[in-house]
Amino acid sequence: MKQIATALVLLGAFVSVINADETKDPRSILMEDMRTMLESMEQIQRGGLYSSKDDMEAGVKKLQGTIKSLESENVKYILPKDQKYAYAFAQKSAKMLRLYSDDLLVSVKNGHMDDALEDYTQLLQQCTSCHIRIRNW
Amino acid sequence: MDRRNFLKVVAGATVVAVNPSLICGNLYAADGLLYAAYERAQLVDESGSPIKASSLEKEVTYIFNYPYASTPCMLIDLPESTNQNIKLKSEMGEEYIWKSGVGKDRTIVAYSAICTHQLTHPTRNDSFIQYVPKNKPTMAYSSSGVIVCSSHLSAYDAKAGAKVLSGPASQPLASMVLEHASDDTLWVVGVLGSDKFQDYFKAFKPEFKQFYNGTAKAKKLVSISAKTIKLTKYSKELIQY
Repeated sequence: MKQIATALVLLGAFVSVINADETKDPRSILMEDMRTMLESMEQIQRGGLYSSKDDMEAGVKKLQGTIKSLESENVKYILPKDQKYAYAFAQKSAKMLRLYSDDLLVSVKNGHMDDALEDYTQLLQQCTSCHIRIRNW
Repeated sequence: MDRRNFLKVVAGATVVAVNPSLICGNLYAADGLLYAAYERAQLVDESGSPIKASSLEKEVTYIFNYPYASTPCMLIDLPESTNQNIKLKSEMGEEYIWKSGVGKDRTIVAYSAICTHQLTHPTRNDSFIQYVPKNKPTMAYSSSGVIVCSSHLSAYDAKAGAKVLSGPASQPLASMVLEHASDDTLWVVGVLGSDKFQDYFKAFKPEFKQFYNGTAKAKKLVSISAKTIKLTKYSKELIQY
């Protein structure tokens, strides 16, 4: 009986965790993703400055994990209300982040560090471009 | 220098001396004109037939690539005559004069489709820059009939050399210099104003790999003719705010 009760409590806790994740505020998901993006950009830059290919590649992987939320149609729900209409612009920025980050990986793999750092510059450009637009800088 | 090379140099210098217009490059006239001459190219449709000025649809954005294979330009037949002798200024402070549109009523204009703010341009996938017809609203400016870059909402005056009307753009779009021939055909001969081609080539290398098989092909100069199609055909998706 005691075991069944424990199992029920654990199941309840599990279900509530799952539900909590499903009902998470889309804006907080975006904020989390943005923080991770910042970390990934710092990691790529650190890799470039310290000549660490591993750091650069890891930074790109981390970045690519976060841009999914911007690439999807769900981006409509995570943008500020007055900028919802501009979701296609956010999606375009995400596509460009994907393009440059893929190219950065190829550049690092081929040892073309000048190109890799140029890709990094363009990634940063995409970030600021979107912030200027969406955050009304 | 051996004899053969010496003869080549002499022959080259003679050709240029006889016809100085063969020199392609930036020509700064004493009055501040900023102009780059390129090979004269005829505007043709998808099948290669010459485009006639009178056959252009009013207020429709057409795209052709010039002077390079990957640098898109807009061709527009405006609903009313363009202004004349517009004084424009590049972001470096160079002044130049945009004469006017061409065609029977001076309504036909062509500009670089690379936004001078952050180089937004039409691709095969999408376009955030286009001419907004008079009957369509835009968030970028109080009235329509202007060129709008919807990335950061810059508006350019289509009938006045693409000078900046509003938004963050810091200089006019570069103008494509058109010639309207007596048989009603259209030709493009050069670029007026400050273009952003070198920044563009630097910034979009991965895109050139995707669409042109590399930067070298993207930088190929247009020769003989420039295929001109509607923007709605050039890009799969048009975004306009």
